[in-house]
Amino acid sequence: MKKNSMWSLNFTTAALVLIPAAIGINYLGKLFAGLLKLPLWLDSIGTVLASMLAGPIIGAIAGIVNNIIYGFTADPISFVYAITSAVIGLVVGIMAYKGWIVNVGKALVLGLVVGLIAATVSTPLNIMFWGGQTGNVWGDALFATMMAQDMPLWFASFADSIVVDVPDKMATVLISFLLFKGLPKNLTHMYDNRSKIERL
Amino acid sequence: MKNMTLYVDKDSFIHNIDPLTKLLFVFLSIALTYILPTHLFVICVLAFTLLLLLAGKVFKYILPVIGVSLLLIISIIIVQGFFHPDRATLLFEIGPLPIYKEGFAFALLLTLRIINMVCAFGVLILTTKPDDLVESLINKGMSPKIGYVFLSVLQIIPQMIAMTSKITDAQRARGMETEGNLLTRIKSFIPLLGPVVLNSLNDTRERSIALEIRGFNAKGTKTFLNESFHFKYGLILKIILIITLIAAIVWRVVL
Repeated sequence: MKKNSMWSLNFTTAALVLIPAAIGINYLGKLFAGLLKLPLWLDSIGTVLASMLAGPIIGAIAGIVNNIIYGFTADPISFVYAITSAVIGLVVGIMAYKGWIVNVGKALVLGLVVGLIAATVSTPLNIMFWGGQTGNVWGDALFATMMAQDMPLWFASFADSIVVDVPDKMATVLISFLLFKGLPKNLTHMYDNRSKIERL
Repeated sequence: MKNMTLYVDKDSFIHNIDPLTKLLFVFLSIALTYILPTHLFVICVLAFTLLLLLAGKVFKYILPVIGVSLLLIISIIIVQGFFHPDRATLLFEIGPLPIYKEGFAFALLLTLRIINMVCAFGVLILTTKPDDLVESLINKGMSPKIGYVFLSVLQIIPQMIAMTSKITDAQRARGMETEGNLLTRIKSFIPLLGPVVLNSLNDTRERSIALEIRGFNAKGTKTFLNESFHFKYGLILKIILIITLIAAIVWRVVL
């Protein structure tokens, strides 16, 4: 059986239709996190799940479209972070393809990597647009403390992002992993453009 | 069912401008506040953006949108005011806490930029139907499939929200606790999200079959349901916007 590369732009219709569903899941993750008063956002579960199911390109598109739609419907600030979402989708897609979603331990490592990369991508955006802050109370308190001790701006801003992003992304990837493992196989094969098992 | 978008249906000059021109305006308006970072200039850009919102009869609708970013703005004023790296000149004191002039000036500039960014997007979002924007983008060569993805999100999310209230009730009836300590609340996250995820992924199967039957993957040129584009002044406004951008860059480089 010929295997397509994970970078193939030849999407199945199911993979394209997965994108709106992923964005809906992002939206609901955020909604439930707010409803249960959890101290995390959990607003990228759908993006991560889409990357696990259909690869990095679909994940990245889901991330970008998610932030554009969120910008259109609630908060224009989220346009700025479209690039962070895209990178999250890419990283999860690539690492899932390389076998980092086989057990809980590896999924946690994946979450850590995603969190660190998300923070790295967000930091220049935060510095450029808002002088280094994130708008999260805990992260900004740390930022203020570090600035008061005259630490370099980029370092304080990076720490601000790390405190916010790493726990959130680890929880997000863990939840997505648990959901992914619970999905029936005939559903997951539908999005996979790497092997031609079930094509609509 | 709750309407997803912030679009306000009114009849104004701004509503009748081509969506792509408004999109160009958004990027230009944000870029200008970074190309020429002086308070006076940013205030002028912001004033112009607000004027467009007034002309579009949507000024009062932007206020809640700015409200969403209020936490970020307050945080910027506090943190930059107290802790900006070049704090030297004391501006005034609130009790024992000193506010420095440099930090305050910087915080003010950032706040003006953020409000301008939100308002500029507001000009686009509040006065443009998403369908029109997507249609114009497809007309300019964006893939119709990506266009479908954008528009179907706006349909799917209200459906999914409707589904969640059913699931929350069903899981509560089975004894799931949604209140209590942190651990209890964390534990109920998966039983809430799991069924929605499975349900919506199952729906994608039906949706993709339905789409393929209707020729979603058909080769050949796609036509539009609404052939006429009734927008005016597109070209002339685009030229004015681009000239403004070039003028600002020249001004920055020369002066």
